[in-house]
Amino acid sequence: MPKLQLPAALRRPAKPGSNGQVDGKAPEDLRETPAARPEPKVTDQAVEAGKDVVGWVDQRTGLSGFLTGMLYRKVPKGTNWFYTLGSATLFAFVVQAITGVFLAMYYTPSPTQAYGSVTHLTNDVFLGEFVRGMHKWGASVMIILLFLHMGRTFFFGAYKYPRELNWVIGVVLLILTFVMGLTGYLLPFDQRSFWATVVANNITATGPVVGPYLADFLRAGAEFGPTTLTRFYAIHMLLVPGAIIALIGAHLYLVVKLGTTAPPWLKAQRPGSTRPVEAVVAGANGASPNGDRSRT
Amino acid sequence: MTRRRVFTVAVQGLGGLAGAAIVLPAVGFAVAPIFEREDDRWEPIGPPDDFTAEAYKAAVITIVDGIGEAGKTTVYVRKGSEELGEDPDGYIAISTRCAHLGCPVRFVEAAGNFICPCHGGVYDFEGKVIGGPPVRPLDRFQTRVRGGKVEIGPRYSVTSQLEPVRSRDPGEFTGGIWEYLYPPRPSTPSPP
Amino acid sequence: MNAADKQRYLEEYELQKKKGKPFFPYAVLKDSVMALLVVLVIIFMSLMLGAEQGPKADPTSTTYVPRPEWYFFFLFELLRVLKPPELVPLATIGIPTICMVLLLLLPFYDRNPERRPERRPIATTAGILIIIAMAYLTFLGAEAGSPTEIEMTVAKEYDQGKEVVASSGCLACHKIGENGNDGPGPELTHIAERIPRAAIIRSLNVGPGIMPSYAGLSEKKLNAAADFLASLD
Repeated sequence: MPKLQLPAALRRPAKPGSNGQVDGKAPEDLRETPAARPEPKVTDQAVEAGKDVVGWVDQRTGLSGFLTGMLYRKVPKGTNWFYTLGSATLFAFVVQAITGVFLAMYYTPSPTQAYGSVTHLTNDVFLGEFVRGMHKWGASVMIILLFLHMGRTFFFGAYKYPRELNWVIGVVLLILTFVMGLTGYLLPFDQRSFWATVVANNITATGPVVGPYLADFLRAGAEFGPTTLTRFYAIHMLLVPGAIIALIGAHLYLVVKLGTTAPPWLKAQRPGSTRPVEAVVAGANGASPNGDRSRT
Repeated sequence: MTRRRVFTVAVQGLGGLAGAAIVLPAVGFAVAPIFEREDDRWEPIGPPDDFTAEAYKAAVITIVDGIGEAGKTTVYVRKGSEELGEDPDGYIAISTRCAHLGCPVRFVEAAGNFICPCHGGVYDFEGKVIGGPPVRPLDRFQTRVRGGKVEIGPRYSVTSQLEPVRSRDPGEFTGGIWEYLYPPRPSTPSPP
Repeated sequence: MNAADKQRYLEEYELQKKKGKPFFPYAVLKDSVMALLVVLVIIFMSLMLGAEQGPKADPTSTTYVPRPEWYFFFLFELLRVLKPPELVPLATIGIPTICMVLLLLLPFYDRNPERRPERRPIATTAGILIIIAMAYLTFLGAEAGSPTEIEMTVAKEYDQGKEVVASSGCLACHKIGENGNDGPGPELTHIAERIPRAAIIRSLNVGPGIMPSYAGLSEKKLNAAADFLASLD
């Protein structure tokens, strides 16, 4: 099995105080005597050139620190398959974004031509129905994964200190995903789309005082008109995806910075001790293991 | 008053101005449709002999121009009935837009009622609510006779006593204090 | 959660991290497998279920039965069951807004430092109840039939009566089997047990209370409807 040849910039950094040794071995390119260095073969030279490119970019951007920090960070013991739901949701969103871009190349957002353009896409374009199906069912899959991820976070208590802000961002993302579902649903402009949108719009209108104006704003007028569809299209394609991408960035930043939680039923142990940390720490503080509530 | 302070305030002021110069027109652009009002549309639907006071006749009119099929709607029209205290030379045009959330209602001849398929709303012959969640009677359209043809005009809403008010979206209560909680919008025409 | 709880958590978390493994490749492997699974599921669904187009949008229709997408069925069902008009803004705006605010502010009113589900009885019970409620409402919303269809198998001779009852708007006020509304009229699924056929015909002709009179129906239709209703025991 050939040895994994990562460029120097992406290799796992050495532990502090180990003199640049990773896994107990000194780095290859720092060997002292020239004789110890083997004669370069063609394949080796190609690999070296590849490593040089990464090194070139790294020297000019300084990215390796960020990348190695993100890739090689420790996740707590006990991280199980439940923790994949978040990245699965992100991946479903990426699928939606990519299929959405290709659908947008064929779609016409005009009330008279929308239905025809979707018919053309479904029937005449190569793989048109398939891509449209991926986008349609991908939306349902994304919502299911999102709810599963939210449930996992709730039951693991992963929204508590210090991750409150992450939860708030997550709920906003949930709301934005529902808005995507609502606005995107109108675009095929068939009977189901049209009436579901009419009802959703009128639901907005039932809010006191501002409701009627909000409904007018969404609908671009008092009745469903020529610019209603284009407005929904702009919201679905530009406004909300931009907000979602920005918030996902913030969400991921917090995940990397704060770390993912360990499953709540696992207790940590001090090295060399068999007692769980709780008891050890509490014993040291002279307080009961679950904290003294009356002290709040 | 140091140099630094003057520059700080100036930066904030100019930055605010530049930001406003970009954002305000954009917001105005997005919000403008709330304040635009289209001219009233009157559409002929047939000679007066086509309509009776006992039963409704469905007619299709265009309420928004320029978007083809999506701009049309169905209206149920009948002559005014003396028994119900209406002007026998006038016409009543009832909208098919349910006053609960806007689903299309249909008139059931056997019962003399309008029923809505979405959440089970039921209206009587005049359009008043007799069952289900709708919050006010069905909207109506203005009518007139011109050149020997019955014409349908802009939409208006009614209170539970069938008094006309400016057109409201489905789900909004009308009459009394509700006129302030659900204010009329500039984009709708005045009621008759 | 006071400062001591926070400190305790941070210390414990540091220890748990130390014993953990690097994100790459251990967690990334699980993420990649899941991502592949997600893509395969989407592709499979697209190939099996396809993407059919419905009929073109027609605002003039009076026969179409609007329904939202499946993930809004729980809200749709809420709107269907809250009948009194005064409660409509509560169902459309009130309840969803309150739920969203509660969800958003969860970390701020749940101050319990405990994370294990079995030691957070309120949170765990509330979570499970909400999941069951939403699943049940979604299921009910999916089952909700149109008010012009009676999904019931009947003997052939009652078929015409069933059609007359279904298309005359009776389901708007009465429940027959799974179809129709819970009010304002009484449920008719077992009406023949309670009143004889003659009484049914009288109700149809007179229209007791707020019920409209169906005397306008032709003799044949009236009898067919009465036959069908009299068979419901």
